Amino acid sequence: MSFMPRHILEERIGDFGRPVHADHLTVLRRPAIASVLAGGPVEALSGMAEVSLRPVGPGQWLAVSQSLPGSLLAESLAAALAGLGAHVVDQSDGFVLMHIAGPNVRRILAKCIAVDLHGDVFAIGQAAAMMCCHVAANVARVGADAFEIAVPRSYADDVFEEIVEMGREFSLTSAFDDA
Amino acid sequence: MASLIPCPHCGLRPKEEFSIRGDASPVRPAPTASDESWHRYVHIRDNPKGRIVEHWHHALGCRRWLVVERDNLSHEVFGVTDAADWAKRKEA
Ligand SMILES: [Zn+2]
Repeated sequence: MSFMPRHILEERIGDFGRPVHADHLTVLRRPAIASVLAGGPVEALSGMAEVSLRPVGPGQWLAVSQSLPGSLLAESLAAALAGLGAHVVDQSDGFVLMHIAGPNVRRILAKCIAVDLHGDVFAIGQAAAMMCCHVAANVARVGADAFEIAVPRSYADDVFEEIVEMGREFSLTSAFDDA
Repeated sequence: MASLIPCPHCGLRPKEEFSIRGDASPVRPAPTASDESWHRYVHIRDNPKGRIVEHWHHALGCRRWLVVERDNLSHEVFGVTDAADWAKRKEA
C-alpha cells in the first residue's frame, strides 16, 4: 500500500471541472522544498539542474524543485555542500507552494504585498522573503507575469483564501497543478 | 503601509514586517557590575524626542536583528545597520 499524502488545501479546491481564466492560481501538489543555511556563498549549488535557489536572508536560502522528490532534493543539496559547514533541512511538508500568473497578477498581489514587484525592479528569477497576507512568505518571480509564493503549511489555508478574495475582481481561478 | 524601513538585506520594507525591541543605546554591564547599574540597564529608559537608535527584528523578511536610527517625531530614517555589524563597529 502506498502512502498518499493529503494536501492541506484539498478541501478548499474542488475538482469539478473548474474554469481556468487568464489570472490563475495553481497550487503545486508535491513540490520539493529545503532550507539551506550556510556561512558563506553557495556557488556549489548554482549548477544544480531543476533546483531554484531563493534567498531568504544572509546565509539562508529556500531551495525549490518541482521535479525532484523532497528527500532527494535535501540529500543532493547536502551532498553538493559537503565539507562547507552548511545545513540542509527538508521542508517539503512544511511549506505550501502556490504559482500565480496572469495580466493582473501585480494588481492582485499589491493588495497583500507591500514590496514593489514591478518588472523593472523585481527581475525574473529574483526572490525574497516578504510579508504576504500578513504571513512570512518567500516570493519569487518566475516569469513575465508569474510569481511563486511559498508559505508555511499551517498558514496556507488563510493565505490561499485571502489571495482568492483579492483576485475576485479579476475572476481569478484556482486549481491544483495535476487537476 | 506608509512607514518604510530600508533593510540592508531586503530593501525598502513596510514597518509591519518588523517587530521592535526598543532602545539600542543601553550597554550591557559586566556580570559583576553593581545591582544599581543592572537595574538601570534592565528597567530604566529615557524617553527622548527626536533622533533615536532602536533594535528592530525583520521578522517577516531576512529575520536579522537591525539597528534603526530614526527620528521618532518626523519618522525620518537616517540609517539601518545589521546588529552584528553595529556591534563590531562599536567594538572597533
Ligand atoms: Zn531584512
